[in-house]
Amino acid sequence: MTRFFASLRRAPRGFASLAAGALLLLGALPAAGQDPFSRLDPTSRNIIDVVMDSALVAGLPNRSILSRALEGIAKKADNRRIVDAVRRRLVSLRTARAMLGPIGDDELEAAASVLEAGARPEQLERFRRRTTGRNDLEAFTVWADFLARGIPKDEAFSAINKLWQDGADDAIFHSLWNNVQSDILQGLSPGMALQNRIREAPTRPPTSAGKPPEGS
Amino acid sequence: MTEPEHPYVEWIVREARRPVVVDRAGRDRVMAAVRAEAARRPQHLAGRIWSRLTQTQSFHLSPLVGGVLAAGLVGVGILAGTTTNWGVRKGGQPSADVASQPPVSHTTDTVVKFVYAGPNASSVSLVGDFNDWDTAKTPMERSANGEWTVTLPLKAGRHLYAFVVDGTTWASDPRAPIAPGDGFGHASSVRNVPGPVL
Repeated sequence: MTRFFASLRRAPRGFASLAAGALLLLGALPAAGQDPFSRLDPTSRNIIDVVMDSALVAGLPNRSILSRALEGIAKKADNRRIVDAVRRRLVSLRTARAMLGPIGDDELEAAASVLEAGARPEQLERFRRRTTGRNDLEAFTVWADFLARGIPKDEAFSAINKLWQDGADDAIFHSLWNNVQSDILQGLSPGMALQNRIREAPTRPPTSAGKPPEGS
Repeated sequence: MTEPEHPYVEWIVREARRPVVVDRAGRDRVMAAVRAEAARRPQHLAGRIWSRLTQTQSFHLSPLVGGVLAAGLVGVGILAGTTTNWGVRKGGQPSADVASQPPVSHTTDTVVKFVYAGPNASSVSLVGDFNDWDTAKTPMERSANGEWTVTLPLKAGRHLYAFVVDGTTWASDPRAPIAPGDGFGHASSVRNVPGPVL
């Protein structure tokens, strides 16, 4: 043991500095591993950063862009797909804002999803509000779902627009989704399921029952 | 063709070429004066600090002290690593100047229950924008009837999520609307959490 310490004393003066540097590096490595963006190449990271800055400057919710990037990383998508998805998100957010004007961030994100699902901007513009106090988050969510399930674009737009013009509330939109989903699970085609259910949908919001469930 | 040189020029050249003889005592006096001048400068505190910082220094460090310093640096490295976001903003909330909705405190979060029916699964976790899509953050618990459940406090608004079954298989929630394809190959679900009733 004494010999060991003696050898340490004889070690060059740079030993301590080298040890400090090596340990600092070792300490930083696991910390870097906690950052999911470390899986991306520097170019992709820079692009995502620029896209997020652009969203922020435009007054758009950049949390949606961040979430899209993290989702891609978690799903092990390659860098190019993640960058494409992030750019697409920015474009759809911008378009939705241009079509709908000032609305809440959640509604804007849902509206952007409607566009990404295939709706045309001019269809979305029909939902531009002329009165305050209305929230279209559920309407846009159901619309995007219908499009994602393969319901023809014009049929989905007509159904959602009809209910919206009639002043349907969240419960009616959710009830429509629930019924269509149930019919699809029983084997009906998505388009047919919507056609059947939109006919029986109430034109005015009910006074109580029919609230969307908390949880599932 | 060159001009004839002036006699003074020749004299100057001759004098310049003649070796200068300086006596040793004189040379010592000059060098002593130079050293004294160097030692006297700089006079000001800032100058002395600057001189100290710019001159090469040597120091002695025992292995024990070196190890302690290294441990301290490691601590600083870990702390910096866990708090730095590597240039990409996290947290999901836009800055206050663009946020169009008022901040929601934790006391107004709504507790939401997520359920996945997977009796044959050996593990299921919930991922979504509320946990940065981290598959390790929100494991679900198996109930007696074979369903996997977890409850979370969520802020009011729109949330995207999915289930990860057995660590590899992504599944959407059949009881919730789906979000359109994101180009990543797996659909996500949407949960709109209503705001608090005031």
